[in-house]
Amino acid sequence: MAPDVAALRKCLLDVSQPIQKRTHAAFVLRTDGESEAVSAIGEALRNKQDSALLRHELAYVLGQIGDRKACPNLIAVLSDENDDSMVRHEAAEALGAIGEVEAVPVLETFVRDSVPEVADTCRLSLDLIRWRHQRGEDASLAQEKGQIGLDKSPYMSVDPAPADRVDVSTAELEARLLDTSLPLFARYRAMFSLRNRNTTEAVAALAQGLKDPSPLFRHEVAYVFGQMQNPASVPALRAVLEDGTEHRMVRHEAAEALGAVGGADCEGVLARFVRDEEVVVRESCEVALGIAEYWGESVAREVVESSAS
Amino acid sequence: MAEEAAATIEDYDFSGTTAGASDVFPSEAGQIKKGGYIMIKGRPCKVVNVSTSKTGKHGHAKANFTAVDIFNGKKVEDVVPTTHTTYVPNVNRSEYQLLDIEDGFVSLLQEDGGTRDDLKLPDYPEGFDQEILKAYQDGKSLSLSVLSACGIDQIIAYKEEA
Repeated sequence: MAPDVAALRKCLLDVSQPIQKRTHAAFVLRTDGESEAVSAIGEALRNKQDSALLRHELAYVLGQIGDRKACPNLIAVLSDENDDSMVRHEAAEALGAIGEVEAVPVLETFVRDSVPEVADTCRLSLDLIRWRHQRGEDASLAQEKGQIGLDKSPYMSVDPAPADRVDVSTAELEARLLDTSLPLFARYRAMFSLRNRNTTEAVAALAQGLKDPSPLFRHEVAYVFGQMQNPASVPALRAVLEDGTEHRMVRHEAAEALGAVGGADCEGVLARFVRDEEVVVRESCEVALGIAEYWGESVAREVVESSAS
Repeated sequence: MAEEAAATIEDYDFSGTTAGASDVFPSEAGQIKKGGYIMIKGRPCKVVNVSTSKTGKHGHAKANFTAVDIFNGKKVEDVVPTTHTTYVPNVNRSEYQLLDIEDGFVSLLQEDGGTRDDLKLPDYPEGFDQEILKAYQDGKSLSLSVLSACGIDQIIAYKEEA
């Protein structure tokens, strides 16, 4: 049952392999999470010739694993101003997820980066690290167990901000989400609470967030829609993917979210954009179709079984 | 042998089930643990192992269930996303005093003093029916355990009355 890390590493580093397969290898390595996997992912991340989509995913995976040994590679990527902005953004986010103090100076440097999504992500990560220090070491663990009065997350992800308190009304969360005068960290907290609630009202509130002036903010909304897998989000996600003038990072997240929701409608939309002019978008559609198919097998069987019983 | 057949059922938890309840109730797949029950391919099963895989960027996971059919002991497997709804059978176990065996059908004494005559000797495990029959014919006073789920009632253990 233990994955063959050497074979996965080889697949990940072989740029001639299809992106779907390599992305899957990255996620199997994430599940493994041991130091050999971390070093394989770090090695692939440093290859600037590789696809920006895959590399940004690798930075994300390193943040999710949470092993501090990944920090030097992530710091190197964030510090290279010639590198792709999506990859740098994800490296900054991963440094926040890992939460090591050694990342603070570099995050403080690039909080003034010329690319807004990189600068804003550095700010978010600094706020997250500060929040965790204020709450103490066990803050994220306690949140996972729903012990500190925050909206409990049903997802296995390390988020760029904690959820808000459970006693905040959905209407208030919506107001916080859309209030551009608040720090991004506070607005993200409202976003993750709405995600955890996953009601029709929450979906409607989040969909308004897709009109926000910040591409970073919009991409995060699309990402949480992918987690929620709520069919009510499909029209909003579809509009994002269909808008050729939208930021590639946002369209990419919308595509992957549609893949996570799955079903014939979503797959039909994705199929139309597998040849998009933007590399990141077309690769995302390819990966999303693979995910939709992967999850679809069990969903299809579940439908057949529940209608038979 | 009789003790052994009974012992395999001892760890079943029958609390919280009531007569007249529906056959199954919904549960999130991620909530079903080792030792619990799950419906697989329309059959009530007991979970002997469950492992979770993380497969995508959104943190979704699939639960891989290995289970045994509670009535025929067949090993079955299923893979379900942890956030999806799956079904858990209501499983009940009752003890009856054996009164008679005729043409493969047993006659059981119910708590209210009436008799129950609709149950056959079990087909599973192989030879178990002959074992019960022999014990009965040897003149032993027997008590039978009947497992009920999804409209199926089956004798799954017997013991000699003290």
